[in-house]
Amino acid sequence: MNKNYDVIIIGGGVIGTSTGYYLSKSGMKVLLLEKDYLTAGSTGRCITGVRQQFSTPATIRTAMSAVKLFENMKDELGVDVEWTNSGYMFMAHDEAKVEAFKKNIEIQRKFGLDVSFITASEAKALVPHLDTDQLLGVAWCPSDGQASPFKVVLGYARGIRDNGGSIITRQEVTDIIVEDGHVKGVTTAAGVTYHSSRVINCAGPWAREVGLMAGIDLQVEPERHEALITDGVQYENMPMLVDYRADGGYFVQRVTGQFIGCFTPEVQVPGKDKSSTLEFMKEMSRRMCKIVPALENVAILRQWAGSYCMTPDGSPIVDETPVKGLYCSVGMSGHGFMLGPALGKFLAEYIVDGTWPFDMSEFAYGRKFGDKEAMA
Amino acid sequence: MIEQDMRDTIICRCQDISLGEIMEAIDGGITDPEELKRFLHVGMGSCQGRTCGKLVTRILANVTGKSVYEIKQTSQRPPLVSVPMKEILGDNNE
Ligand SMILES: Cc1cc2nc3c(=O)[nH]c(=O)nc-3n(C[C@H](O)[C@H](O)[C@H](O)COP(=O)(O)OP(=O)(O)OC[C@H]3O[C@@H](n4cnc5c(N)ncnc54)[C@H](O)[C@@H]3O)c2cc1C
Ligand code: FES
Repeated sequence: MNKNYDVIIIGGGVIGTSTGYYLSKSGMKVLLLEKDYLTAGSTGRCITGVRQQFSTPATIRTAMSAVKLFENMKDELGVDVEWTNSGYMFMAHDEAKVEAFKKNIEIQRKFGLDVSFITASEAKALVPHLDTDQLLGVAWCPSDGQASPFKVVLGYARGIRDNGGSIITRQEVTDIIVEDGHVKGVTTAAGVTYHSSRVINCAGPWAREVGLMAGIDLQVEPERHEALITDGVQYENMPMLVDYRADGGYFVQRVTGQFIGCFTPEVQVPGKDKSSTLEFMKEMSRRMCKIVPALENVAILRQWAGSYCMTPDGSPIVDETPVKGLYCSVGMSGHGFMLGPALGKFLAEYIVDGTWPFDMSEFAYGRKFGDKEAMA
Repeated sequence: MIEQDMRDTIICRCQDISLGEIMEAIDGGITDPEELKRFLHVGMGSCQGRTCGKLVTRILANVTGKSVYEIKQTSQRPPLVSVPMKEILGDNNE
């Protein structure tokens, strides 16, 4: 068997499969290696949200490009990825949030995003079940939405195979071969070596370990997050409700009528532990019922946990590393699913043509980690 | 082997997924039980696969020629049965 490829991708989440899809579409011979099964990492554990409300230019523009790709994904991939423009509402319960959201809206509008700050009663008109106690208003973007991470990965994976690429699951990469500062290939736990002058680290929460295989110490850390999903009830087109208060959370009604959501613990929990806790189920129920009291009659179907891959500034690292031919697309924080389609396309174009669609220095390898993305 | 006229048989009642749909996915290369679960949502309905899980294992065994014991069981997630939030909150809301 010929084990030479134009590019080898490590990781079968949204980032690996979207990047692989666009590279295979441009004619490259792609090999994607996944240590578990497709969507085994963060991608299969995310809560499906896709938004464009960010605070920095590159993230806003990437997210806006991604929404365009989600809108056309059914035609592009031949898979219905359950894309729905259900919108995102960021809730402001104090003046500081009102100010911060308004400032961000000004930046977002510069890029042509249709977003506005609306009053609590306007929000209530859109979401009749919303509890507006102490709510001063919400940042509302109706073109934000949701899609199925499973269907998105399935679509990209099929695309890779249709374009002549290969995907091998249950194959863990254990070493990256580097000679004279150039990447040469990878070796797997099964002892097989695959050759390529291009390797992309798309290993999500495992990105640091994978980088170290080539001597590249990426500044990323996994951070544990729990989530849950309810039984389905009548679909009411409820947007993603984001409450950033200390005891807030975020959740959305899926097109299946199910509510899916999570919250960020006040004290961050490092690591990749996948066990779920009763405390989370209770606390998340309490927080959801506080925001939408009618949910008390809805039953919880399933809970799980996953990890974010965090950088110090909350923005991803999408770039070539100092090892020639070794790229990384990592550090996706809580928004790798929504940015994934666009980042995959951009990195593929960069690898093929050497150009980015706009200034992507915010995501550069080796940048100074300054201020945090305000809407991380 | 699985007969053509059995393809409309519903395997996953909660999610309304037929044998034909499962066969189609397997033919399309999805033979990992974890991927079958996620890409088709078979076993992700309100009974959490308690009804269809064994059937899916048998279909996979049948198609891949492995024994049912070689087919990996998909991960089980809590809670064991769906619980209304109001019951969950009952004990920490007073
Ligand atoms: C609870 C929760 C909720 C979230 N909600 C959202 C949301 O609403 N919207 C959003 O946009 N984002 C959300 N996220 C974040 C999002 O899930 C991630 O940013 C995104 O999925 C990252 O994708 P990825 O492809 O980089 O990583 P992953 O999906 O983790 O993929 C990496 C893959 O690499 C594989 N791998 C690792 N090491 C190796 C190796 N050595 N060899 C071979 N394979 C390897 C892993 O098995 C894994 O499958 C959420 C995350 C969590 C945990
Ligand atoms: S029958 Fe398949 S989940 Fe219930």
